[in-house]
Amino acid sequence: MKALLSLRPWLGVLAELRGRLLLGAVLMLATLLSALGLLSLSGWFITATAIAAVSASGYLDVFTPGSGIRFFAVSRTVSRYLERLYNHDTILRLLADLRGRVFARLVTLDARTLARARASQWLNRLTADIDTLDNLYLRLLAPPLVALISILAFAAFAAAFLPIAGIVLLAILLPLGLVATAGCAWWGWRASHRRVDRQEQLRVRAIEQVEGLAELTSYRALDAHRELWHREERALLDDQRRLGQRTATGNLAVTVGIQLATLAVLLLGLEAFRSGQVSGPVMVMLALGTLAVSEGLGNLPMAFTQLGATVRAAERLNAQAELKTPLTGERLTSGGAAPSLDYRNVEVAHGARVVFSGLSLSLAPGQRIGIIGASGIGKSTLAQLAVRAFDPQGGHVEFDHRDIAGLAPDSLRARIGYLTQRSELFHDTLAANLRMGDPDASDAELWAVLESVELEPWARSLPDGLETWVGEQGRQLSGGQARRVALARVMLRNSPLVILDEPLSGLDAETAASIKSALDAWLAGRSALLLGHDPQALPTCDDCWRLMVGTTGSALVQR
Amino acid sequence: MGPSRTNASRTGASRTGASRTSASREWLKQQAAGVRPWYRGAVGCGLLAGLATLIQMGALAWVVDDVVSNQATLGDVTLGVALIVIAIAARALAQWGQEVCGQACGLRVKQQVRARLLVRLQQLGPVRLASRHSAGLASQLVDQVESLEGYYSRFLPQMVLAALIPLVYLVVVFWLNWLAAIWLLIAAPLIPLFMALIGMGAQRLNEAQFQAVTRLSGHFLDRVRGIATLQLFGLAERSVEEISEVAHDYRRRSLKTLRVAFLSSAVLEFFAAVSVAVVAIYIGLGLLGYIQYGPAEQLDLFSGLFILLLAPEFFQPLRTLSQHYHDRASALGAAEGLVALLEPDADEEATPAGSTRPDETASRELTPGAVELVNVELRHAGRERILGPLSLRVDAGEVVALIGPSGSGKSSLLQLIAGFIAPSAGRVEVRRDPAIAWLDQRPLIIQGTLADNLRLVAPDASDEALRSALTQAGLGQWLASAPGGLETPLGERGVGLSGGEGQRLALARVFLSPARLVLLDEPTAALDPETEQHVIAGLTQLAASGRTLIVATHHPAIMAMAGRVFAIEQGRLSRIERSADARETNS
Repeated sequence: MKALLSLRPWLGVLAELRGRLLLGAVLMLATLLSALGLLSLSGWFITATAIAAVSASGYLDVFTPGSGIRFFAVSRTVSRYLERLYNHDTILRLLADLRGRVFARLVTLDARTLARARASQWLNRLTADIDTLDNLYLRLLAPPLVALISILAFAAFAAAFLPIAGIVLLAILLPLGLVATAGCAWWGWRASHRRVDRQEQLRVRAIEQVEGLAELTSYRALDAHRELWHREERALLDDQRRLGQRTATGNLAVTVGIQLATLAVLLLGLEAFRSGQVSGPVMVMLALGTLAVSEGLGNLPMAFTQLGATVRAAERLNAQAELKTPLTGERLTSGGAAPSLDYRNVEVAHGARVVFSGLSLSLAPGQRIGIIGASGIGKSTLAQLAVRAFDPQGGHVEFDHRDIAGLAPDSLRARIGYLTQRSELFHDTLAANLRMGDPDASDAELWAVLESVELEPWARSLPDGLETWVGEQGRQLSGGQARRVALARVMLRNSPLVILDEPLSGLDAETAASIKSALDAWLAGRSALLLGHDPQALPTCDDCWRLMVGTTGSALVQR
Repeated sequence: MGPSRTNASRTGASRTGASRTSASREWLKQQAAGVRPWYRGAVGCGLLAGLATLIQMGALAWVVDDVVSNQATLGDVTLGVALIVIAIAARALAQWGQEVCGQACGLRVKQQVRARLLVRLQQLGPVRLASRHSAGLASQLVDQVESLEGYYSRFLPQMVLAALIPLVYLVVVFWLNWLAAIWLLIAAPLIPLFMALIGMGAQRLNEAQFQAVTRLSGHFLDRVRGIATLQLFGLAERSVEEISEVAHDYRRRSLKTLRVAFLSSAVLEFFAAVSVAVVAIYIGLGLLGYIQYGPAEQLDLFSGLFILLLAPEFFQPLRTLSQHYHDRASALGAAEGLVALLEPDADEEATPAGSTRPDETASRELTPGAVELVNVELRHAGRERILGPLSLRVDAGEVVALIGPSGSGKSSLLQLIAGFIAPSAGRVEVRRDPAIAWLDQRPLIIQGTLADNLRLVAPDASDEALRSALTQAGLGQWLASAPGGLETPLGERGVGLSGGEGQRLALARVFLSPARLVLLDEPTAALDPETEQHVIAGLTQLAASGRTLIVATHHPAIMAMAGRVFAIEQGRLSRIERSADARETNS
């Protein structure tokens, strides 16, 4: 199956932990062999004692098998406990590392690649998909391997006493193992592969219902949205039901197979016993041993009907890994004086839509340029190019006369204060959100910057002050407050180049006016690119351009 | 940016851990009420499987005894072998039945619980939900409910079986040899005792782990959503460390839970193994005649082997139960969060519940589209008064603008009218039939096609109606250039749409809906003049169609459109005469 190839990178990750995994598998094997020893030795012992009792001599060494039984009883318990603990620790260790790795890869992607998937999808990759991978070793790799080894070993052991018993064992248990693994995997493939996406779909619907509740309730559209939810929930439940039934059927096959193998070995043993080939105790031992060794097959149907889910999770994580390589470059070391910014013949296209074609613009050190334009026309794209959120398809952008395509994004961004159009606040305290701008800012500095965005009286009135939690995406704040917190955060950065995208949106006229004058003062001595839909909504500019829809992408027109 | 303490303040500190646990246990039991038949089916099948096992083992011992002790040929024991085969088939089928019935229980309970949670979210309303993490809620709704399944499909039926099946076996062993039965009996009661002790610890840890998972998803989504911002502020590396720190913390918590959970099953396994060993040795010595005491002399190979074969089976239901113990623990852990979500919280009790659910008191006299507020006050628990007392009557077809600085309470007033929050005092009267149209700065874009997004508010609308609504909202050109037309897929949070386009899509919904009353919260914020013009033209058309518009705005053109303009200052409304000064301050 080609689909299984998507597990390869993850098997590679497992290989890094070979030592731990091998020890884990050995512990698993020890557990199974202890159970085998306990049951078969007990069977041998009882039959032997019974025969000794009826035979003339009536003597049997009871101490050796007795201590053997006790030994296996203890070793089974201990090895099982250690095995489970050790293996789960290994897997969780692996999973925690994977989470960090996946996020680390995510955080280096450029803005356009990130925009291709939805936020909750990323989340799911980070948590559920990685969690699903824990099946790989603990349920899918080690148990069949251990079962195979113990079946082979026991068959050899049985063959030493009674060759035909060994052959029959292999003839029944090996195909049974194949049914429990490959068979169940094939049978549950579609439903379990699909289940991962269906579960995620349900999660998306749940988020929609929470975030869009205002619209949904007032429009009385909640029932319509619930209908979507119910349809998707039913599809998920149907898949789960199907998988459950197939697992149950797999278990049925395994139970029947194991019991019939035991019976077959017993009958062969009885025949051999009658012909004097084996002793009574050995006959019973072989039958009970078959029962015990087959225990290793018991959990396989359950694990393998879910193989599709593990593969699906791996596929999605792989797709994420194959996304564009991160942007890199030389570190920028120049000083903190106001820089120049030049766009030279820049070309950008989003899919089929041309945004810019041959666009040029120069911002001199200390200059303030305003860019006015309709929403969706490319103002934010202009800003994203400046911070190297992605590279243009043609032309280049220069920061202080250096092409930024050769600069490390982090060192470039450290010199730019960029207020994005959406006020992206984090589920954290007010202070922590502000300190993103300057991790070393003192409380006094925070209060000062809050004052310049007219938030100081409001923040003083909060019972928790700076330690107030702002809620998810700053939802505990009004739109205008969130905007000003985001602005304050940028001001704290104190960078020589400033890009403000709609800095005054969502503010009432009075607040906007006083923040405008505060910004006018603060921008002195900095180069600034100011983006807005209206010159009135921007601080005073030296020069103002209008971004308009042209024949080939958007173009700048001097006002 | 430390790890967030999402629900710390919300998990009612007044309730003790013990009473919370018993509440969740009670709740879990209640949920089983609707699935009794399937539950009984699972238990019945399990019992059948147990009896079939008994017959299988008995027949096995009989066949061996017959051949070994009585030198019977295989032909002599055909009946025994046939019995074994039948018993095996019956046992396998019964187990299948148990699994399938059990799963039916689990699936049905999940469906019930999810339905109740959805109703609960609706009750909480958009304002109270705003303070909660939507990913956390989604994970409760999907993943935590998912973790209830094992409790109903496996644990509950197994709990009955773990009591019944060993009892049946014990009676049989007692009948064969009472001393061997006593050996088993001595070990048996210790097991539930140990398991109860260990299970309690496991459960507490499980709860902690569930909180960690909820927090973990919240933390991830928050950081993932803000990746662009993290990159801008050069915090990418630091947040990677933070993420793996949180993930490792999760690992440590999980491991603590697992260590205890594994210990409980190890204890059980130990007792089971020791009992089997003791019984085996007792039988062996008894057969040899070393034991003079009790019924040992009557032991023969049949009874000895039968008892030996039954001894592991005696413990098997308990072992299975202990394997499913974590199902119970995770169900309890999940239940605690779900119960907390389902029961009213402190904030809710503070507001006089149901004093004016607008749809209940909606006076029949009000014409559709009209609104009446009488002495309305609004305060949040433990905070200053936000609004009121204020009174306002808006007639059907009127256009009213609300202005005021951000945070002055414009949105709260709209939320009151929409019925998302109940007033602390006074009355809000609104006809909510057929619907109220709501438009704010964060339009809902569901995953689905453009048409799906529109039909949400008017399920029966024709394609023609959809197109005309889009054109009225200024999206006509966009539609013409959209690759799939009305079937163009749109994503979560409107990826593929610009902010202005999302806003116009929301406006198209207003046109499409039969609502007479339209509430708009800053509909033109962040729109360019052109889009703005489209929106304002659309609003004018809406007003002309006789719909009532109540708009929170800063935009002079909308204020000019309004019949009446009110300023909100310190929670009170003051009428602004439509004069030049209103325009001047804002343009």
